[in-house]
Amino acid sequence: MKKILNDPAAYVDEMLEGLVAAHPEIYHAHAHRVILRAGAKASGKVGIVTGGGSGHLPVFTGYVGRGLLDGCAIGNVFASPSAEQMADTIRAVDAGAGVLCLYGNYGGDVMNFDMAAETVAFEDDIRTTSVAVADDVVSAPRSEAGKRRGVAGMIYPFKIAGAAAEAMADLDEVTRLAAKASDSTVSMGMAMTPCIIPQLGRPSSVIADDEMEMGMGIHGEPGIWTGPIKTADAILDEMFDTLQKDRPLSSGDRVSVLVNSLGATPLEELYILYRRLHARLDDLGVTVVMPLVGRYATSMEMTGATLSILKLDDELETLLRAPAHCAFWSVA
Amino acid sequence: MSITSDDLRAGLGRIAARASADRDALCAADARLGDGDLGITVADGFAACAELDLPEDVGRAFFEMSKAWQKASSSSFGTLTATGLMAVAKTLKERTEFEPSEIGGLLATARDAMIVRGKAALGEKTVLDGLQAQVDALDACRNDDNLLDAAIRAAANTVMRFQPLPNLAGRARIFADKSVGLPDPGQLALVTMTEGLR
Repeated sequence: MKKILNDPAAYVDEMLEGLVAAHPEIYHAHAHRVILRAGAKASGKVGIVTGGGSGHLPVFTGYVGRGLLDGCAIGNVFASPSAEQMADTIRAVDAGAGVLCLYGNYGGDVMNFDMAAETVAFEDDIRTTSVAVADDVVSAPRSEAGKRRGVAGMIYPFKIAGAAAEAMADLDEVTRLAAKASDSTVSMGMAMTPCIIPQLGRPSSVIADDEMEMGMGIHGEPGIWTGPIKTADAILDEMFDTLQKDRPLSSGDRVSVLVNSLGATPLEELYILYRRLHARLDDLGVTVVMPLVGRYATSMEMTGATLSILKLDDELETLLRAPAHCAFWSVA
Repeated sequence: MSITSDDLRAGLGRIAARASADRDALCAADARLGDGDLGITVADGFAACAELDLPEDVGRAFFEMSKAWQKASSSSFGTLTATGLMAVAKTLKERTEFEPSEIGGLLATARDAMIVRGKAALGEKTVLDGLQAQVDALDACRNDDNLLDAAIRAAANTVMRFQPLPNLAGRARIFADKSVGLPDPGQLALVTMTEGLR
């Protein structure tokens, strides 16, 4: 195992200590593995909490910030945080207007967030809603879209819901917009080398040196096919065509797109992918708003990329363009 | 004879002792199908419950147990157990005692909440099947003195009845073929909990 660490068991906690030390004006360590926005909470603002396993920075913790999320419960690498941590996070961010739980659609996280919501309703009388983002088109057919996993595209619902809450929309409205942003986002990924879970010390899946896996999930979940590495244009075309088939775009549409590195893939290669994506959207007559190219949702040292597309309307575009700030994404 | 918080505290102490004794056996059963931590989950969950200073309100008492389980484990078995306890807590809210004749109904409430949260169905070889068998057995039981024996028998019979069948829910589903002939770890855990009450 080649990893920079002190002790595999301390991986998550030492990462959080470093994150908070580097950006104390953004992140505040509230309790064991609970990170909140630094500073006082705005009275009457809807709170937005997320949570999930570690190993995906900037997801999930990184998107705590102004115009984004208010708090995050953090689990071990690829493991759900406990319902207790989630309930602590919900209590801490509640400013009297209720709390939206907004996270990726994984069984353990869903179960624990539902449990946490029940707990704070019983004990603290806090109203919560939840949206589990399910953007990975490969993980289930459109007819069973509710079973899809949440991947990189979840940062769009983070941004949209965060902007709505910052503008003092009420809980039902923030929830509606989060669900709308989630429904309007589709993603697909591919990988060339797997990642290593620190406490396991070896990759959880294997891809041969001269092969790639199309459609692989961010925890190494099996994809559609494994085979010889294709060119950047062919990779982008297959991902784009799959998304296009799932939720077609047509001339005149406006979108935001995310070309995301799963960790090890360099910016150079992301821009080679983006070049082709831009041409494909141009051919279709689709306008790109605020393209994102970089490391927004990772799987530690995994080599690979995901493509996410958010289809916009006026309402979503206004919220996407609203000011926001965290250590990994700022909109002025 | 009505059941109060004092009775619950005494019962939790007995279950915790039994769960601790069964820890390694439950872990071994779980390791054949999953990550092998079920014995630790069950032992830690009940150890935490046994240490609680339970309030007189039996609804609050079950709520505190639910929270203790949430804190002890983020595994799905831990969260499902917390879910069942929470459902009972809601039913008994603002009461200081309940009757043995109500236990079957409380178990049914827990079972229903756990089915919803776990997105599992009866017959998939999970702890839910054991609970279902207990609900039926308590329903058929005409003498309160025999309730515990009936519940223990129902839990143990469920393990035997499902052993030849494949696991169809949760992580063990991935090992459906391998699970044929093996006792379900969750159903075994229910035997531990119920026998512990004796």
